[in-house]
Formats: sequence, structure tokens, C-alpha cells
Amino acid sequence: MSSAFTKSAARNIFYGGAVFFFLLLVGLSFDTMQTLPKRDNRENLSESAIRGKHIWETRNCIGCHTLLGEGAYFAPELGNVYTRRGPEFIKAWIQSQPTGVPGRRQMPNFNLTDAQLNDLVEFFKYTAGIDTAKWPPNVEG
Amino acid sequence: MKYQSQAVAKPYFIAAIGLFLGQILFGLIMGLQYVVGDYLFPAIPFNVARMVHTNLLIVWLLFGFMGAAYYLIPEEAERELFSPKLALAMFWIFLVAGAATILGYLLVPYATLAEMTGNNILATMGREFLEQPLPTKVGIVIVALAMLFNLSMTVLKGRKTAINLVLLLGLWGLAIFFLFSFYNPANLVKDKFYWWWVVHLWVEGVWELIMGAMLAFVLIKVTGVDREVIEKWLYIIIAMALISGLIGTGHHYYWIGTPEYWQWWGSVFSAMEPIPFFMMTLFAFNMVNRRRREHPNQAAVLWALGTGVMAFLGAGVWGFLHTLAPVNFYTHGSQITAAHGHMAFYGAYALVVLTMISYTMPILRGREANSRKAQVVEMWAFWLMTIAMVFITLFLTAAGILQIWLQRIAAEPMGFMAAQDQVALFYWMREITGLVFFTGLVLYIVSFFIKGEEARAS
Amino acid sequence: MNIAATLPASHDQPRTLPGDLAIWFFIFAELLVFGVFFLAYAFARARNVELFDASQLQLDRISGAINTALLISSSYFVVRAVDRIRHGASHACAGWLVAAMTLGGAFLVLKLTEFAGKFAAGITMSTNTFFMFYIGLGFFHFMHVVLGMIILGWVAHKAWRGGYSAANHAGVETGASYWHMVDLVWIVLFPLIYVMH
Repeated sequence: MSSAFTKSAARNIFYGGAVFFFLLLVGLSFDTMQTLPKRDNRENLSESAIRGKHIWETRNCIGCHTLLGEGAYFAPELGNVYTRRGPEFIKAWIQSQPTGVPGRRQMPNFNLTDAQLNDLVEFFKYTAGIDTAKWPPNVEG
Repeated sequence: MKYQSQAVAKPYFIAAIGLFLGQILFGLIMGLQYVVGDYLFPAIPFNVARMVHTNLLIVWLLFGFMGAAYYLIPEEAERELFSPKLALAMFWIFLVAGAATILGYLLVPYATLAEMTGNNILATMGREFLEQPLPTKVGIVIVALAMLFNLSMTVLKGRKTAINLVLLLGLWGLAIFFLFSFYNPANLVKDKFYWWWVVHLWVEGVWELIMGAMLAFVLIKVTGVDREVIEKWLYIIIAMALISGLIGTGHHYYWIGTPEYWQWWGSVFSAMEPIPFFMMTLFAFNMVNRRRREHPNQAAVLWALGTGVMAFLGAGVWGFLHTLAPVNFYTHGSQITAAHGHMAFYGAYALVVLTMISYTMPILRGREANSRKAQVVEMWAFWLMTIAMVFITLFLTAAGILQIWLQRIAAEPMGFMAAQDQVALFYWMREITGLVFFTGLVLYIVSFFIKGEEARAS
Repeated sequence: MNIAATLPASHDQPRTLPGDLAIWFFIFAELLVFGVFFLAYAFARARNVELFDASQLQLDRISGAINTALLISSSYFVVRAVDRIRHGASHACAGWLVAAMTLGGAFLVLKLTEFAGKFAAGITMSTNTFFMFYIGLGFFHFMHVVLGMIILGWVAHKAWRGGYSAANHAGVETGASYWHMVDLVWIVLFPLIYVMH
């Protein structure tokens, strides 16, 4: 028997393969969700950190920065900024933007209140505690 | 064109090109901001220019896919579109909503935009590529569902070919996976995990079905190769795309807090993701080689071949370069990512839309192909944009390698901002090349206005 | 005198890949994935010999050996099925396929028992790298056996209803090729993960 190559066989491979691998993805995702509690630092996802995430989103910080390596590449990685700079530096830095240095990349001032700054710092602290398999390679991000 | 209702594709394509122009203008702004950091600050901060740039990209590609579908499906189904009026209405709704969204980004501080548009009802704003206010996201779903209804009814009552079924499946998948953009959990790891169910399963998943169907359609038309041959290869190509791409999603799960087995599973499967793109290149060249006619629209043939090659280079090769976990550990979130992203999007999706426009626009304007003169200008536009994109990618790759070395590998790691200063030269070269790209795009638009006698088959 | 007449009667055409070429794309992709995973296993083991050897001791080799025998036998039954349909005996073909599926089903049951035991002991893909490979590859292969059963079942059903003949049975060869691939993968997987130390 020589090998034919029919459209219907190709079509069946496509549908079969797609269903097979989608089911596998769902299965692995299910296992991932079961495993997350040991890795995602949710015990430190306080109300304050949740408010901080909301501030992170509504000021579109990801539009310039990366968080765990995802986002924009204009400004530093902030997933580990809590470790790199500490809470007081972070608050002072945000409050003193923009630097106004000619030619330097500028960050807006978001006029955040003290409470909001503290929430944002809590969010960074929570993020820094997530088990990212030792990423980034060093403290600079 | 064979069916009157195919004419609705025209406004979609015109909008696509207009938005593409806008995208590149904002890209040029961003490119300059990389090296003149305070350019246009505070009027247009970098993040605002970026969200305009990326959102315009996605929206013009969506206009392109929709226009392609409205042209292709009636022809494949051998009947008129179910409701041209609905298609036209959706065009205006999408365009107005899109314009309003872009204006919102530009004119209103993002936090205010969020308050104004009900982000407190359901917080979906503030994630990359998904910056749209809630009403815009809902609008996208409505427009998508209307389109799917329109197209599905057309196919249900007409001829079902592999091409229109694959396109429809891809578009349904696009709409369904977009729904994950409404799911934004407080848990950052889960947030990121499901974010990729929109982004990866779009561009490394269902969008490949859409692209494959569009390419197959154009190849049948310009080469005259037998449908059976083209369609069976289409099925194998998209089979490989999903077989590699579904578990390949794992290459986004290496460092975001998910279990470490994804480093193995994501690496093995995503390493195979170039295969469908390699096949698409072979597919395009092979079908053109086997052609049974000399189609008068040679520009369209060039775009089709270009799509295969650039998609393979940008998505396949550049993707492979940084997909394996041990490499990605160093390249994650660097200019390497930007390099790959640009060439992949251009090569796969921008080019397939431009291929479709190149083939269909003359027909929508009443001729089989444009004049020799117009096609020559169009082909110049192809080469200028494509070569420019290759160099943009090379410069960003160089910037990325140096950045990674300085910031992540050297014994005395340099901070982010200092490392950026060190790679500034590459950013300047990228910006100049960006101007060449822009020139190509302008030339492309000019080509639509060049008159002359319609080219005939030789 | 032509050349064809000098060849054995059953080979009157040049021999190429059995079954539809489409399945061979799929088989190629699968072998690529499993092959790379096997290499990855070897690599990971080389960096972690003690951990791998210690963890491997927790595996049930008897169960694995029985499973190997089951799959090899089922492949033999599939060979018999293809032989029968080449002679036009479609009911016999279906019978052999069902026999193959029975052994395949036994494989699945044994495997499920094995995994259930591991999960009950709290072992997951995240326990350590060895168990990541054991459970990951084991489950991945398991899913392939399930898919193989579906394919064989489909083919058996069609054969029973007379959908194939001596001249026209590409589908049987296609399904058989897939099943043999699944068997082949296990024949590498078992010694690699269960035995080699």
C-alpha cells in the first residue's frame, strides 16, 4: 500500500491533535492551580497589597516597567524592587518624580497619598516574595 | 468581485491602513523617547505613546482580519454575506469606539479614564495590551459576536470549504479567548497565567489559523493550484501550530511563580513552534512554483512569499532563539523580547493582512490588478518596510545582548538605567531605520493613488 | 518480462510509508517531542544521579513490565489485524483490533492504579525532577494510549461494518502505524525511567 495523503486524514489530525493538546493544557493548568499555594505568596496578599495592585494597574505602571519580566522595557524591573531598594526609597522616589533631568527618561508624578504609597509598597513586597524560580539573575532585574 | 456584499471589506481595509499609519507615528515617538527621554513629556509620556502604539496595532490587524473574512467567506461559501448592513454597522461602531479609546488614552490621565469608564465595576484596565476601558472591551465582544454571527450564518447556508471553516474556527477562537481579558484576579500569578490565555493563545494559537486560511485563499487565487492540495497542507500546518503552540504556552510560565515543570514542558513544545511557520514558507514557495497561471497581480505574490519568510524569521527563528528556559532566564524581559515581538508581528500578521489587501483591493476597485507602475511602487514599499524591519530587529537584538551582558551576566552587574545609556547607539540606529520603515509605509499608501492601465496576465 | 513479476505478489507497488502521509506528520512530531524529552531526562539524570536513583526505587517495576508485555502483545494483534484486512477478512480484522484494545484497556487500568498510588502518597510533578519526568511523561504517554484506543475503536467499527477491503484499507494501516508508535515510545520509556540506574 503506498501512502496517500488525503485532506480528510489531515483534517482529522488537526481536530484530534487540537482537542488532545487542549485537554493536556487544561490538565496541566489544573495541576498548576493546585500547586500555586506553595509558590505564589498568597499568604501575603493582604487587602493593602490588593489595593496596591489596583494602583499599579490604574496608573499603568506596566506601560514603562516590567513586573516579573513582563511589560515595557523603558524603565527598571519592579518585581524585585522591594529587595533592591526597600520601602522608604520606593516611596521617596515616586514622590519626587519627575526628575526633570534634561534628556533622561521621565516618570510622571501620580500624586499618590501616603496611604496609596504604602499600599503600592505592600504590593511590591508581596510580589518580591513570589517564588519565581530564582529569576531575575541578580538584584538589578 | 463575485458577490456584491464583498464590497464591505473595503472600508475595513482602508481603516486598517489608516490605523497602521497611526501606529507607526507613535512608534517613532517612542523610539525617540528611548534616546531623548523627555521628548513630549509630560504631554505624551512613554506609557501613553506605547498603549496607543500597541492598541492601534491590534485594532488595525483586527480590522484587517475582519475585512479579509468579509471578502473571503462569501467567495468561499459561494453566496452573498448574510448581512452586509450589519457588517457596515459594526465597522462604524468599532472605528468610533477605537478612536474614542485612543483619544481617551491621549487626553485623559489613565487613572481618571478608569474612574470615568466604570473600572470600579469590574477592574480590567492596566494590563499590557489590555489597557482598554471596560466599555471598549465590551464593545469588542459585541462587534466580534456580530461578525461571527454574520459569517457563521453565511457559511451555514453556503459551501463549506476547509478555508472558510479554518478561518471561522480561528475567529471564534479569537473571540472566546478574548473573554479571558475580563478575568483579572488579585493573585498576581493567576493574573499573569490567564493573561497569556488571551495573548499567547491568540498570536501563537488561533491567529495562526486565521493567517493560514488567508494565505491559502490568496495562494489558490494567484497560483491556480488545485484546492485539494492547498487545503490538505493548510490542515497539516495548523495542526502543527496547535500541537506545538498549546503546550508551548508554557514558555511564558518559567519565571512568574508557576511550577517549575513548565520550564521543561514549555521548552520542548515551544521549540517546535517554528515548524508550522517553516511549513508555511515551503507552502508559499512551492505553490507559487507549481502555479498554473501567471496572475497579473505580481505584487500580491510578493507579499505572500514575504509573509512566509518574515513570519518564519521573526516568529520562528527569533522566537526559537529565546524560547528555551536556560536561555530565557537571561533574556526574559529584555530588548531581545522587543526584537522578536516586532519582527514576529510584522512578518506574520501585518504581512498577511497586507497580502490580502494587495490581492483584494484592486478587485474591490474594479480590476484584476493594478497598473505595472502602481505595482512597482507597491513592491518598493514591501522591500523598504521589510528590510527596515530586519534591521530594526538586528539593532534591538544587539541592544539586548549588550544589555543582558551588562545587567545580568557581568561580574559587576550594571543597573537598568546605566545599561540603557550604554546601548543608546543601537536605539538611534533603530530610530533612523524606523524612519525608513515609515517611508515605506507612506510609499505603500501612495501606491493606491497611482493610475495607469491595468496589468494583464503575461 | 517485467520487473514487477519478479517481486513477491504482495508487493506489486513500491513500498512507502503505510497508511496516510498525514498521520506520519503527526507521528514525526510526537517522536520529536518524546525524543527530546528522553534526552532531557538523560541530561537531568546525569546532573542528579543520586536523587533519580533514590526516587526510582519507589516505582513499581512489575507493573511496568506487565504493561510492556501488554503493549507489545497488543501491537502483535494489530499486525494480525492489518494482515487480515489485506486478505479482505474485515470481521477478523475487527476482531484482532478489539483484542488489541482489550490489552490496551488493561494497560490503562494498571497505569491508573499505579498513578493513584503515587498521588495518594502525595507525589506530584512538583515533588522533584525525577517525578516530574515520571508523572509528566507517564501521563503524556497515557493520553496517547487513550487516543490510540479511540483510533483503533473507530477503525474496528468501520471494519466490522465492511468499510474496508483488500484493495482499500489505508485507514487500518494509518491507525496501526499510530498504535505502533505509542508502543515504541513505551518500549523506550519503560527501561529509561523504570529500570536504568
